[in-house]
Amino acid sequence: MTATQPAPSNRRTSRRTEILDSRPVNLDGFVEEWPEKGLVAMESDFDPRPSVRVEDGRIVELDGRARAEFDFMDTFIADHAIDVATTEASMAIPSDEIARMLIDPGVSRRDVLAVTRGLTPAKILDVVKLMNVVEIMQGMQKMRARRTPANQGHSTSARDNPIQVAADAAEGALRGFAELETTLGVVRYAPLVAIALQVGAQVGRGGVLTQCALEEATELELGMRGITAYAETISIYGTESVFVDGDDTPWSKAFLASAYASRGIKMRFTSGTGSEVQMGNAEGKSMLYLEIRCILMAKGAGVQGLQNGSISCIGVPGAMPGGIRAVAAENLVASMVDLECASGNDQSFSHSAMRRTARLMPQLLPGTDFVCSGYSGVPNADNMFAGSNFDTDDYDDWNTFQRDLQVDGGLRHVREDVILQVREKAARALQALFEYLDLPPITDAEVEAAVYANSSNDYPLRDVLADLKGAQSVMDRGVTGLDLVKGLEATGFTDVAENLLTVLRQRVSGDLLQTSAILTPAFVPLSAINDANDYAGPGTGYRLQGERWEELKKLRHVTSATNPETEVS
Amino acid sequence: MTQNAPSISLGPADYPLSINHSELLRTPTGKALSDLTMDAVVSGEVTADDLRIAPETLLLQAQLADASDRPQLAGNFRRAAEMTAIPDAEVLEVYNALRPRASSKEQLLAIAERLEGHYGAAESGALVREAAEVYERRNLLARPEQA
Amino acid sequence: MATPATERTVSLRETGPAERGSRPDEVVIALSPAFAGEFTKTIVDLPHAEVLRQLLAGIEEQGVTARVVRVRDTADLAAISHLGAKLSGSGIAVGVLSRGTAMIHQKDLPRLSNLELFPQSPLLDAEVFRKIGSNAARYAKGESPEPVPTRNDQMARPRWQAKAALLHLKEFDCIEADRGPVEVKPVFELSHA
Repeated sequence: MTATQPAPSNRRTSRRTEILDSRPVNLDGFVEEWPEKGLVAMESDFDPRPSVRVEDGRIVELDGRARAEFDFMDTFIADHAIDVATTEASMAIPSDEIARMLIDPGVSRRDVLAVTRGLTPAKILDVVKLMNVVEIMQGMQKMRARRTPANQGHSTSARDNPIQVAADAAEGALRGFAELETTLGVVRYAPLVAIALQVGAQVGRGGVLTQCALEEATELELGMRGITAYAETISIYGTESVFVDGDDTPWSKAFLASAYASRGIKMRFTSGTGSEVQMGNAEGKSMLYLEIRCILMAKGAGVQGLQNGSISCIGVPGAMPGGIRAVAAENLVASMVDLECASGNDQSFSHSAMRRTARLMPQLLPGTDFVCSGYSGVPNADNMFAGSNFDTDDYDDWNTFQRDLQVDGGLRHVREDVILQVREKAARALQALFEYLDLPPITDAEVEAAVYANSSNDYPLRDVLADLKGAQSVMDRGVTGLDLVKGLEATGFTDVAENLLTVLRQRVSGDLLQTSAILTPAFVPLSAINDANDYAGPGTGYRLQGERWEELKKLRHVTSATNPETEVS
Repeated sequence: MTQNAPSISLGPADYPLSINHSELLRTPTGKALSDLTMDAVVSGEVTADDLRIAPETLLLQAQLADASDRPQLAGNFRRAAEMTAIPDAEVLEVYNALRPRASSKEQLLAIAERLEGHYGAAESGALVREAAEVYERRNLLARPEQA
Repeated sequence: MATPATERTVSLRETGPAERGSRPDEVVIALSPAFAGEFTKTIVDLPHAEVLRQLLAGIEEQGVTARVVRVRDTADLAAISHLGAKLSGSGIAVGVLSRGTAMIHQKDLPRLSNLELFPQSPLLDAEVFRKIGSNAARYAKGESPEPVPTRNDQMARPRWQAKAALLHLKEFDCIEADRGPVEVKPVFELSHA
């Protein structure tokens, strides 16, 4: 490590330096690279050189390592992810040629996939290392699996208050999130909060998919019961030792992937740059190299998609030189091996609003399957994923970016009266359902609070111990998604019950298991099969136009052209 | 069960099945999608067991995945088709047994045999056998005092 | 520094291999490899002596006994805490990493689950450690205490995460593979910094 500079003593600082030093960006943490330990974004002399050798239909050498020396990641990737039939031919193509294919609109997505399915982790790294951020964005525009971009929201509560979660889920669904996710401060609250999320989401917009981030086995159980609709916190790691520290292996995770599919439940894995070095064992490899191993492991497991973009470790690549370029590259790699990509922007990233926005652009501008894998649909102080890059305070800024640049980030402006209406309905529906299920009562005062609240501080306090008992009873009694349908129907929330039943019925068809699937407001499954990305240059692919563009032209305050003395919204 | 692959041959244009081919879809209990109505839920005719996916449907989705050049996804669906027969609790047990240092080699092989023999789950069994082999090589089997 | 301050320091005296406890009224405090050794303070400069003193006080104010062990072969908080819980006569343990991250664990829970987790080390001050000790003791007595309020400063990540990773790398270097946990006796001293 280099020596630190001696602190200047008694030297007068300029007024300008004082001002700069007080800027929010200087509250962020930045550290030096330490490549020997893997504290480096994507350019490291310690990463392996690309190579592959096939004998008798089996990969016997991968990135300079012979099969006898394979760790379990090498083994899994060699045996499940890489196409043995084409790998030698694909690996023979120079990296700069593959990088050019990624940005050339004349080369179809399908033609690129024909090459990438034979590439090793080190070769993929070699390709994306040639690309600057603009080229990475060009690649993403073409390689994203679903033609129509979407967004995902978080709905959580610092007090794990289910009424807040329901009301904010309803508002988030109405504003446009295709998926909504929650998690807990106190894990035992999970059943009540997961129920609240599901009810709120189906009030806001029928067909929104929900999930509750928990330890793997519990997350699966809530999914099997139909209380949640998809799963995503199935973490994977790029080194064997960190994977084992997480108490899993590629085989346990592959089995889990099939377990979810066997219950008709949509699922994606989660990984991201920085997790291995954060957990102390990067084996001296760069963050992006290890992330590419994760991406190929996910591909080999046959899971349809991946949440990546550093995710909960964003502070690590964020502190490194070129770190945000590496994060954009990891999203591209997920897309260029044909996985659904829920592309981060889901964790508090910077004290600087400018830096937060800059970090978003490589995903917002080209569009990804889910631009945020968790835009905070609650104020960040209530975000139990420890904050997101964007929260409720930023809704109007986001809508303005979309309108300024004419890009679709998955959200829209909604009038206040409509928002208040769905918030109230969500709280009322949950109140009725709790009573039906004999859970701790929700008072009218709590419903009233939910309509006008911003944060958990605006709600009356719950009896936490009674709620935790209620939560346990949900598990003990074996309450299922169908019980929620019955309760909503019995208490007069017929349309919400119908929405939830339709979501549950999707399990029977399995349509949501295909790559990048979401449900439209008309309950049509939209995936990389029936909405395949067909970008082929200017004027092609997804274009923000027509009815959707008219919708995104609306903001809170727009002066009317007809009568400039009034505003339209 | 994977031997009885559906005779129909599907391609990308057939997706989504819930809209284009609802006639091909049955619950594991033999009900059609159109039977899963609110009235049937309220009357108790439809239970949580009816809201599951049938192995035949997973094999149809595997065909769609294969036809969309996603062989790994198709393989996942085929394992899933086998696993529909395994009760929730046992699925979780097998998952936990596959965690690192959770099982001896014999325990893993016994699980594989049960999957193959009792459930006819050849591909899932093969995955567990492969794990047993790799775990042995990488020292990830249960340590003696933990087995 | 201009003014010399009096600071409490702690050293951990090894007393032998950590055994499974038989007293149902004990809580184990399980410390990471570099705690009060290679490192002396948490990520926000709270002395390890103070962390330990507050945990012990919190446990003892509930009339419960505390036993301190050092885990040497892993720097993973869940593993450290779960191992502590398995050694604890009550089945309850508090695990702590050098940078301050802490967890209350119970031996019958899956390793990656927990009773309470305090993941944001920069937000853990003396008061929180005392409450963690107190709550662990109440679980040991079979009570269901209200969880210690989770602090949630979403801006800790951008400021501290990379430094935390750096500290973790340094702690990882202190791991002694295949060496079992040892029981330690904390010896507190006042020193002039």
